[in-house]
Amino acid sequence: MIDEGMQEQAAAYALGALVGEELRAFEVSLRVDPELRALVRELRSVTEALAGTAAALEPPAAVKARLMLEIDEPRRSGPAPAPERPVVLPGAAAPVGAPVGQPVRPPASRPANLWVPWAVAAALALLSLAFIWQSASLRSQLAAQTARINELMASAELARTESANLRQAVAKLTERNRLASFRIALLDSLLAASPKTIAVSVWDNDRQDGIFIVRNLKPLPSDKDYQLWIIDPKYPSPVDAGVFQVDAKGDGRQDFRAKLPIQTANQFAVTIEQKGGAAVPNTKAMVLAGS
Amino acid sequence: MANAESNVAEDNQDAALIGRIRGGERAAFIGFYDRYSPLLFSVAARVLGERKEAEDVLQEVMLVIWNKSGDFDPQLGTLSSWAVTVTRNKALDRLRARTRRLRLIEEAAILAEDSDASSYPSANEIVHGRERAELLRDALKELPADQRMAIELAFFTGLSQSDIAERLQQPLGTVKARIRRGMLRLREQLGGAL
Repeated sequence: MIDEGMQEQAAAYALGALVGEELRAFEVSLRVDPELRALVRELRSVTEALAGTAAALEPPAAVKARLMLEIDEPRRSGPAPAPERPVVLPGAAAPVGAPVGQPVRPPASRPANLWVPWAVAAALALLSLAFIWQSASLRSQLAAQTARINELMASAELARTESANLRQAVAKLTERNRLASFRIALLDSLLAASPKTIAVSVWDNDRQDGIFIVRNLKPLPSDKDYQLWIIDPKYPSPVDAGVFQVDAKGDGRQDFRAKLPIQTANQFAVTIEQKGGAAVPNTKAMVLAGS
Repeated sequence: MANAESNVAEDNQDAALIGRIRGGERAAFIGFYDRYSPLLFSVAARVLGERKEAEDVLQEVMLVIWNKSGDFDPQLGTLSSWAVTVTRNKALDRLRARTRRLRLIEEAAILAEDSDASSYPSANEIVHGRERAELLRDALKELPADQRMAIELAFFTGLSQSDIAERLQQPLGTVKARIRRGMLRLREQLGGAL
């Protein structure tokens, strides 16, 4: 029977929250107590289940491609191939007892024209070396090109996956309609040059606030801001929902409130404005919109 | 009894898989990657709060599986739970190297209080299927909020129990008891699903 104190330590150990002397003492107990090991094993499964509650994310294909290259690396740079046996031509037979793979020593006296086969052998050996070198070089180039293609494909796949994930999440939330006061909108890029840009706006009408998340939006110079707008039919023009910036990668997350009470958040839009934002949107600089 | 049988089956599967990976069998490694990378990537991203570093962590963890599978001790858990632990620890190492820890702790605390886990598909759903994921989700939902918060803070933010006690302004003994009760309760509720 494991007492409560040990159970506490086992639970903390399984979560990785046991430290210092307590951790060391527990690991000693663990080595000698099979019942405790069994408990830890079960609690680690609980931890794994807990870990799995994180929102599901598919890693980009580039990670797998890089990993495969990495695990193949030792084999590519593994032991050097065994040395080629020297080419032995007729008339240049190895002396009896000469070790295999060792250079063949020429006889002490020989006819003058016997150098010809040696020259041919040397030329062939050089040619073989050239072919081996060229082949290795081509293989290396091919591997580099393949890696590059994989990277590009992975990048495209990442964009597709992220977009699909966002759409799926929005669809699920909308479908469930778990809170009627929530308005969830997916905003698409209006710029042909930025097809990867995508954003989600979640507006809670009861609380009159929302969260805006954007990916792959081009960072702005320091004198400009992105500005979020809510289109509510109650008002003649879009309602200011604040300004935001994105990080160097173009990602951003913003909690926002509208400057006026919102009755129906029909649509959301993002424009580029001067630093601090504008009272009315510059519709010519609209970069994202959606409902 | 059923648990013991399922443990034996898992042990056998793990032993076979780890043996093949140790033997340098690429297909076995790819199989492991395909099955568990969404879970491990999701854990790393949750701990770190961003994807790019989570990719690096996933790659590091997979290289540990490939190169150091001898470190895996089947007596202390399954291969996947070991991989989760390695992922969490590597992600936390990176997190500690940065100054964003406090901000993430705040976020985690808020998430623990307010999160509605049903909003998004979970990594469990991807790895273990919807039915099992829902069972896990329900079990977590039924957990008292204080127990769940203490457990999530311990796992996702890397705080020690003393740190959590300080953070939550609760006595250390209370925090330890919450974690113990919560973990044991989850173990009971999940039962054969684990």
